[in-house]
Amino acid sequence: MDHQITVNEDIESPKDPESERLKTELLTINMGPQHPATHGVLRVEIQTDSEIVAKATPHLGYLHRCFEKHAEAVDYRGVIPFVDRMDYLAAMNMELGYSIAVEKMLGVEVPMRAEYIRVMVSELQRLASHLMFFGVYSIDLGAFTPFLYAFQEREFILRIFEEISGARLLYNYFWIGGVWNDVTPDQLHRISDFVDRMYGELDKYHNLVGLNKIFVERTANVGVMDAEMCYQYGATGTVLRGAGVDWDLRKKRPYSIYDKFDFDVIVGKGEQGTLGDCWDRYYVRMNEMKESLKIIKQCLEGIEDGPVMGKVPKIIKVPAGEIYMRTECPRGELGFHLISDGGKTPYRLKVKSSCFTHVSMLPEVAPGQMIADLVATIGSIDIVLGEVDR
Amino acid sequence: MHDQWAELINSKASGANATVHKAEVGDSSITVEAGKLKEACQALYDGGFNVLQVITGTDYLEENPRIEVSYILADFTNNHELILKVKLPRENPEVDSVVSIWKAANFLERETFDMVGVRFKDHPDHRRILCPQDWEGFPLRKDYEAAKEYNGMEVYPEDKLNLDDQVFGTKTAATAVSNKAPMTNGRY
Repeated sequence: MDHQITVNEDIESPKDPESERLKTELLTINMGPQHPATHGVLRVEIQTDSEIVAKATPHLGYLHRCFEKHAEAVDYRGVIPFVDRMDYLAAMNMELGYSIAVEKMLGVEVPMRAEYIRVMVSELQRLASHLMFFGVYSIDLGAFTPFLYAFQEREFILRIFEEISGARLLYNYFWIGGVWNDVTPDQLHRISDFVDRMYGELDKYHNLVGLNKIFVERTANVGVMDAEMCYQYGATGTVLRGAGVDWDLRKKRPYSIYDKFDFDVIVGKGEQGTLGDCWDRYYVRMNEMKESLKIIKQCLEGIEDGPVMGKVPKIIKVPAGEIYMRTECPRGELGFHLISDGGKTPYRLKVKSSCFTHVSMLPEVAPGQMIADLVATIGSIDIVLGEVDR
Repeated sequence: MHDQWAELINSKASGANATVHKAEVGDSSITVEAGKLKEACQALYDGGFNVLQVITGTDYLEENPRIEVSYILADFTNNHELILKVKLPRENPEVDSVVSIWKAANFLERETFDMVGVRFKDHPDHRRILCPQDWEGFPLRKDYEAAKEYNGMEVYPEDKLNLDDQVFGTKTAATAVSNKAPMTNGRY
């Protein structure tokens, strides 16, 4: 991507006569809120000098429902459906974080079978979410076919979820103390078949898209977010790992029963370009899916018989105090800061949304990029606006 | 660990008066004087807390009314986590911005201003972020009441409201939601 480098130099050295000649007046245009590449209703106000972005300002709030206010008005069990609606592509992972936060405060034991189901389902959800990323990111960059491949497999996961929880997207499946419905041996068997098949599929996807010349040209060296920048902005998850930092909460601060499983943390290596570029983030997600498959496989082997709900009081009253619980979601760390006054409803429930943090990096990354590269950058951080705006 | 950090703050930022609140359930926290927040944060940043995770503003209405702003910091090198708190008055709460230490604070402080109305001194872009710029009031204050009208549009039209007795932020709302809301399917 030679033009990328020269463009950056042009912006930084306005004294250069050639770039002075090329400069025209700035034009303000809106990308969004209905732009397909913004993955929802995000409006990015960009000032462009012809094709080159000089400044990008994200405007949020189009999906703002003030979930945190709602949470103060319903009881602890009633919050879970609201939590689903934050990151609607990874609702299971959202529920997991919230349930663990409340269970830790209550001191509730979750039965082993429920823990296994939780981990298995969360990893399946991670797989579904990354498949969604894979499909939609390809569409962002102009390839339609991968989307169909990805949705075919994602459909299987959603069908299984529908069978075990009754819903396709917003599940309300994890309850405080466990999960509300058991899985059947038949379902486990089908998941096992799916896992075996998926390894080959993932290799196929990677060969089809990841090493494709056009895809590499569009993503390598584009939207570089290095480790220092990630720390400054508090970026986590795949963005941080894409920058080459070995940080995964499932390893570093194991929650649920993640310490029982054997899997690797994938970090970006800057294989096709600079460390921390869009291609690295893509690479991390694609390989993370294989690690999820490993975990699911181990869940299927280790799952034991037993109840799926622990002993939870009928009316949940969390003792006064506070807790900050972080879990690793497909899009990054999700944190629940739960403050309780001992009542039946949360006194305050604050959500640390990784997408919100990642959007805040756009004004720093965007200047100097082509508009088409901005699309590639927004796609690569894989935001869900439901979680950004809450 | 919290005692060490409190000592670190007190030695680097004199007058910060860092006190540890040890919790029996959940997480412990450290409270510092609001005026010394920035120095305390700088000391913690130098002490290894390289990531600002989130800023929570909490409004306390009953018994000693105040607004607490919690800064949740994380050390990604040594794997630590810390809740740092300041207490502010409910009238015109104001505290130093920490954007110069962590850039993450930019959006997080804007959100805190938007939701609970805490002003941040020297913030580079002090605007609302989730609500529209002309929104009135701060939704996560405990005494917040939604405006009846916004830009000439009625907010809760009588004929479209099926939860007529629901007032957000009051304890009665809990019963109002659980009895009537369709999403609970009569379970709660």
